[in-house]
Amino acid sequence: MKRLIIFSMLFALVVLGTPQLILAAKVGQPAPDFTGTASNNQTYHLADYHGKFVVLEWHNNGCPYTQKHYNSGNMQKLQKQWTAQGVVWFTIISSAPGKQGYVDANGENTYMAKMGAAPTAALLDPTGTIGQSFDAKTTPQMIIINPQGVIIYDGAIDNRPTDDAKDIAGATNYVNLALGQALAGKPVETAATRPYGCSVKYKGSWF
Amino acid sequence: MRNPIEVICFFSRFILVLILLPGARASAASIPHGTVDFVAENQWITPGGQTYFGLNFQLEKGWHIYWINPGDSGQPPRVEWHLPSGLKTGEIEWPAPRRLGTPTIVDFGYDHAVMLLVPVRASTTLPTNRAVQLAAELRVLVCREICIPGKTQISLTLPIKSMPPEVNVQTSELFIAARMSLPRRAPGEWKFNVSDQKDSFVLTAKLGRHMARATFFPFEESQVDNSAPQKIMPVAAGFQLELRKSDQLLKPMKRLKGVLEFSANQAYVIDVAIN
Repeated sequence: MKRLIIFSMLFALVVLGTPQLILAAKVGQPAPDFTGTASNNQTYHLADYHGKFVVLEWHNNGCPYTQKHYNSGNMQKLQKQWTAQGVVWFTIISSAPGKQGYVDANGENTYMAKMGAAPTAALLDPTGTIGQSFDAKTTPQMIIINPQGVIIYDGAIDNRPTDDAKDIAGATNYVNLALGQALAGKPVETAATRPYGCSVKYKGSWF
Repeated sequence: MRNPIEVICFFSRFILVLILLPGARASAASIPHGTVDFVAENQWITPGGQTYFGLNFQLEKGWHIYWINPGDSGQPPRVEWHLPSGLKTGEIEWPAPRRLGTPTIVDFGYDHAVMLLVPVRASTTLPTNRAVQLAAELRVLVCREICIPGKTQISLTLPIKSMPPEVNVQTSELFIAARMSLPRRAPGEWKFNVSDQKDSFVLTAKLGRHMARATFFPFEESQVDNSAPQKIMPVAAGFQLELRKSDQLLKPMKRLKGVLEFSANQAYVIDVAIN
């Protein structure tokens, strides 16, 4: 019963959490602010991370393209590598209840432990509010926000748009490239790419 | 005939003969929620000639596969050919796709059924009076609401003969239908112009007639916003189509290349300088 109450509260928080109509985010423009509840039960506010680089990773554990990067350990490696350098990393799950990739807090915590995932937090976005404010289209789609709150990268994780883990070795990883350049104070050369993968399973989408 | 086993044995010989009949349709390979049939247009391969092959996809209701530019998500089928020396494939010829998706995520692909055409050139030195096997590994992403990657082996055995090619009547209708669905070269008297207008490209088409409906499919990704509605406006002797630029387009573009479709089996390849 207690769990049910906590869960309903969590759900209410997510459902009632600041819905805002903002034009879709774009590279070079300020990132839309958001408040999200994570699987660790904490609430995260993007504005609190001004002064830091923030990575947003759209996630769906049933998507073959997400599995490519998790079963190979590639995503976890990136998460560890960049959070160790002070980058904030949010995994965001915008799958609606009943859709592929939807998980509750317990489900996501179990998954992260099993996979050795190491983001700062995994935000549960079953209403798709955060996903739609960033116009996130695929999993995995990656967005990088600079310490001034401006989007500096939006697109694919790398340049091999396949579901085959063999394609990871030798691929150009756009997240590494963009963060490497940005942390060195250089402009990001490849700031926007076509994100590849599965469509984000938003509420109401049949697709 | 005496007993059921013998009957089966007797008839199975004929079935075997049918399967091995040169030029016959190979049995369909299964892919997630569908099948793919590897078919040949001609009954044999002639040295020095070109023969068309087809990858004939049949999909269960609601499932789709992708065009060469898949749009916002997805991935086109990929084929790794294993051909005997003396045979070489050309570029796959893709029928005009459909817009599939939701208001915010739009993909380009095919549902229900589609046949991709593959030209194969035979060298003049290809030895005749024998059969060769054309094989390939096909990878295909099949999606409905969710996506399932599939991998299958396809193969077809055809004889090599020095005689001029003859069409296989079992498959010729498939090839006729597939060719009708291919985008054609736009007639020379049609005039196109593309102007770069900050957030969009405006394609003006002068066809000498009015057109109520048109859809543009860019060959390259990250040029046009896939999910943005393409607004059509009539102009004298033609129309204008407003194509919102992709957010991923950060560098200026010189040409706009793609397929312009008016209706089923009425699609044209265009390649227009942007000014």
